[in-house]
Amino acid sequence: MSSEKHVMALFEDDVRAASAVEGLDGYPWKLERVHSPIPSDKILHALKAKKSKVGYYTLAGGIIGFFSGIGLAIYTAVEWHLIMSGKPVVAWIPFLIVGFEFTILFAVFGNVLGLLFQTDLPEFKSLDVYDERCSGEHFGLLASCAEGQEKQLMDYFQGKGGEAKLI
Amino acid sequence: MPGMTYAQIEQTVLDTLRPARLKYWAVVALVFLGLLAGAACWAYQIAVGIGVGGHNIPVVWGTYLINFVFWVGIAHSGTLISAILYLFRAGWRTPIARAAETMTVFAVCIAGLFPFIHLGRVWMVYYMLPYPNERTLWPNFQSPLVFDMVAISTYLTVSSLFWYTGMLPDLATVRDRATGLRKKIYQIISLGWTGRYEQWRHYSRAYLFFAALATPLVISVHSVVSWDFALGIMPGWHSTLFAPYFVAGAIHSGLAMVLTLIIPLRRIFHYEEIINEHILDNVAKTIILTGLIVGYAYVVEYFLAWYSNNIVEQESFRWRAFGHYSPEFWIMVICNSVVPLLFFFRRARRSIPWLFTISILINIGMWYERFVIIIGGPAHDFMPNAWGLYSPSIIEYGILMGSFCLFFFLFLLFVKHLPSVSITELKEGVHRGGSHVL
Repeated sequence: MSSEKHVMALFEDDVRAASAVEGLDGYPWKLERVHSPIPSDKILHALKAKKSKVGYYTLAGGIIGFFSGIGLAIYTAVEWHLIMSGKPVVAWIPFLIVGFEFTILFAVFGNVLGLLFQTDLPEFKSLDVYDERCSGEHFGLLASCAEGQEKQLMDYFQGKGGEAKLI
Repeated sequence: MPGMTYAQIEQTVLDTLRPARLKYWAVVALVFLGLLAGAACWAYQIAVGIGVGGHNIPVVWGTYLINFVFWVGIAHSGTLISAILYLFRAGWRTPIARAAETMTVFAVCIAGLFPFIHLGRVWMVYYMLPYPNERTLWPNFQSPLVFDMVAISTYLTVSSLFWYTGMLPDLATVRDRATGLRKKIYQIISLGWTGRYEQWRHYSRAYLFFAALATPLVISVHSVVSWDFALGIMPGWHSTLFAPYFVAGAIHSGLAMVLTLIIPLRRIFHYEEIINEHILDNVAKTIILTGLIVGYAYVVEYFLAWYSNNIVEQESFRWRAFGHYSPEFWIMVICNSVVPLLFFFRRARRSIPWLFTISILINIGMWYERFVIIIGGPAHDFMPNAWGLYSPSIIEYGILMGSFCLFFFLFLLFVKHLPSVSITELKEGVHRGGSHVL
C-alpha cells in the first residue's frame, strides 16, 4: 500500500511557479507534473528540461519519404517502361518533384508520430488528477511526499505564493 | 488587444461557441440550399455526361479547372499566415491564423473536388492511384498532373494536421469549460491534453517543424499547379514565369479571402478588440505587396512575349488584351493590380467598408485571372483554324455556386463549434507583452 500523498499547487504566474519548482530541489518531495496554459521558458528552464527529440522523428520521416517517393516513381516507370516525351524511362528531374512532396509528407507524419510518442498522447488518465484552471490562468504543480509531510509541502507552496490543495 | 487578461481572451472566444441563434441557422440553411443546388448540378452531369458543360475543342479545360486553381490559391494564405509569418515572428498573424488555417483546409478540400467533377466518370477516379494491376498501367510520374495530385494530397494532409495540432491546447481549454456531452466530445478530440510541461516542450518543437515544412510545401504546391500549364507548349502558358507568378497570385487571393471572412467574423462575434485595426492594416499592406508582384508578373508576361519575337506568343497576348475575352482580362488587371493600390492610403486600410469591398474585388479579379489563363491559351493557340470560344454552361455556374456555398457552409459550422481564434497563442502574446499588435 502506497504511503505517498499528492499536493496540487496553483500559481497565478510562471515566475512564482518556476521559483517553486527550483526551490523543491532542497526538499525530499518529488515534483510529478507541471501544467500551464501556455509554454513557459521560465518553467522549462527551472525544470532543466532537455531539448525535445521530436526532430529525429521528423528527420527519419523525411528520409523515408524522399526514398519512398523516388522509389515509387522509379518502380512504376520501370514497370510500365514507356518512353514519354523523349525523356528517359527513369527521369530524375520530374521524379525529384515527387520525392520532394513525399519528403514533406512523411516528415510531417514523423513529426506528428514523434509528438504523440514523446507526449504519450492520447492519454486521459492525467485528467483524474488535474485542475481545470490550468488551461485558463493558472500554472499548476503536482508534487508527492511521504505520508505526514503533506502539511509541510502545502506550506511550502503557499509560502511561494501558490494555492495548495491535497489531492 | 493590449490590456486584455487571459480570462477575457478566453471568454471572448468561448462566447462564440454558445448555442447559436435562429439567424445563424437560417444563414446555414441558405448556404446549404446553395450547396444542394451545386450537388444537384453535379449529379445531373454524372447522369447525362460531361458534355453538359461548355467544354469543347479546343477549350477542354473550363470552369472546373478555373475553380480548382482558384480554390488552391485561396488555400495558400492560410499557410502563409500560420507558417511563414510564424517563422518570421510576425505577431500580428496570431488573431487571424486559425481562421486562415481553417480556410486553407476547406479550400483545399473543395479544390480537390474539381478534378473529380471534371473527370465526368468519377467512379474511375481510382485510375489515378498508383496500384499494381494486370495491365501494368501506372500513373505517369513524369506528368505535371500527377505531380499535382501528389502535391495537393500532401498539402491537404499537412495543412489538416497543422490545423488540428495547433488547435489541441485550445480544445483542452474548451473541454475544461464545457459540460455534459460537449465535454466528452472535446475530451476525446483534445486527446487528453493537460498542458504538462512535457507536452509543451515537444509541442513547441513540433509546431516549429510543422511551420518549417509547410513553408517550402506551400511554395511547391502552387508551383506544381502552374506547371500543369507551363509544361505544355500552349502559347500564353509555356513560361518559366508561371511558378512565382502563381504563388504570388495564390497568396494575393488568399489574403483577400482572409479579409472577406474575418471582417464579418469580427463583427458578428465581437472580436473587434482581438482582430483590431492594426491587424487588418497589416493584411492590407501585405496585399499591396502581393498585388504589386502580380502586377509585375502581368507586365513581364507581355515583355517576354515581345522579347521572344515569337509571333504566336505575341498574337496570343494581343488577343488577350483586345480579343474576345478582353473584358475578363481588364477585370483581372484592374481588380488584382490597380484596386489593391488603394491600400497605399491609410484611410482605405482603416476603413472596414473599403477593406471588405476591395477584398471582394480581388477575389473576383483572381477568379478571372484563372479564366484568362486557362481559357485564353487553348482558345487562341497556334493554328487559326483551331481557334474557338468557350462560355460556361448553367451547370458549371451551378457547380461554381455550390463550391462557394460548401466553403461558407463548412466555415459557418466551424466558427460555432471550434475556437475560431487561437486562445493559447493570444495568451502567449499577452504574456510577451501584447506583441501581436505590432
